Amino acid sequence: MSDHLKLHPTDGGDERRDDEIVRGLRRLYAAPTGDDYWRGLEARILSRLTTPTIAWWDELDRWMRPALAAAAVVLLAAGVAVVRAHQVQHDVAYESILAPTPHPVETAVRPVLQEPREATFRYLMTSR
Amino acid sequence: MTAAVSFPPQPRNPVRPDEAKEPGTGSSERDYVIAAQKGSDSAFAALVRMHHRRAYAVARAIVLSHEDAEDAVQEGFLHAYRALERFRSDQPFGAWLNRIVANAALDLVRRRKVRDADELPETVALPFRDPGEADELRRRLAEALTHLSDRQRSVIVLHDVEGYTHGEIGQMLGIPEGTARSDLHHARAALRRLLKNVRSDS
Repeated sequence: MSDHLKLHPTDGGDERRDDEIVRGLRRLYAAPTGDDYWRGLEARILSRLTTPTIAWWDELDRWMRPALAAAAVVLLAAGVAVVRAHQVQHDVAYESILAPTPHPVETAVRPVLQEPREATFRYLMTSR
Repeated sequence: MTAAVSFPPQPRNPVRPDEAKEPGTGSSERDYVIAAQKGSDSAFAALVRMHHRRAYAVARAIVLSHEDAEDAVQEGFLHAYRALERFRSDQPFGAWLNRIVANAALDLVRRRKVRDADELPETVALPFRDPGEADELRRRLAEALTHLSDRQRSVIVLHDVEGYTHGEIGQMLGIPEGTARSDLHHARAALRRLLKNVRSDS
C-alpha cells in the first residue's frame, strides 16, 4: 500500500519525483468509494434543496442587490437635494448683497429739550 | 459525519459528467437542465446524481478536509439550484456547476481562515488522513501541502489528481490560465524541495 508513496530522491530526476508526488497526492485526495456513500451524499444534497435552512447571511445575500439599489437611489436623491438647497442658499445670499434695500431705515432723532423755557414748563408740569 | 468510508485511488480521468447520460434513460444532461429549469425536481435530482462525484473532487481539491468538501458540495448545489433559471442551457452544465462549487469551497476556506485566526498556530489542519494509514511518507506529503498557498494546493490537486487543464482550473478558481500554470510549477517545485530528504526506506 505504501509503495505508492515511495520517493527516490537520489536515483531519479524531477520527472520521477513528480510522478511519485502525484501518486501520493492521489492517495491523499482520493474520493470515497462505495455507492452507499454517494447515495447518502446525494440524499443530503437533495434534502437540503427541498427544505433549505435559510441562514441570516443567505437572507442578507438575497436582499443585498435590492438594498444596494435602494440605498444608491436614496443617496442620489439626498445628494441632489443638498446641492439644490446649497445653490438656492447661495443665490439668495448673492442677491441680498447686490440688491438695494427696499425700505431704507429712517432714523428718528429725539429732540433734546435744552431750552430754559421748556425746562421751566417741564418743572411746572412735574411739580403738581 | 460519515462513517466507514474507504478512500482508494481513483482513475485519473473519469468520464466527464458533461458528456454522460443518466444510466437506464435516454435523456441527456441538457434535457435534464431544461426540465429542471421548468421546475422539475426529479430532473435536478438526476443532475445531482450525474455531477456530485465530480463536484466533490473539485471541492476536495480546494478545502482541507473531507467534511469541508461535503459542506462545499451541498452549498454549491444549493446555489446552483437557486440560480438555475439564470443558467443558459447551451453551456456545459458541469463547468458552470464546478465554478459554483469552487466558489463555495473558496468561501469556506476564507471563513475557516478567519475563524482559525484566533486559534493556536499549531492546529494546522491537514488533508484528510485515513486513520489506518500512518506511514511517514504520507504524513510528510500531507505536511508539505500545508506549506503551499491555498491556490497552489488547489491547482496541483485539480491538475495532477483530477486531470483538469490549466484553462479549466483558471475558470474554476477565477484566475488567468497563465497563473494556474505558474502556480502548478511553483507548487511542484515547493513539494520537490520540501520532500527532498524523504527517502524511500523511511
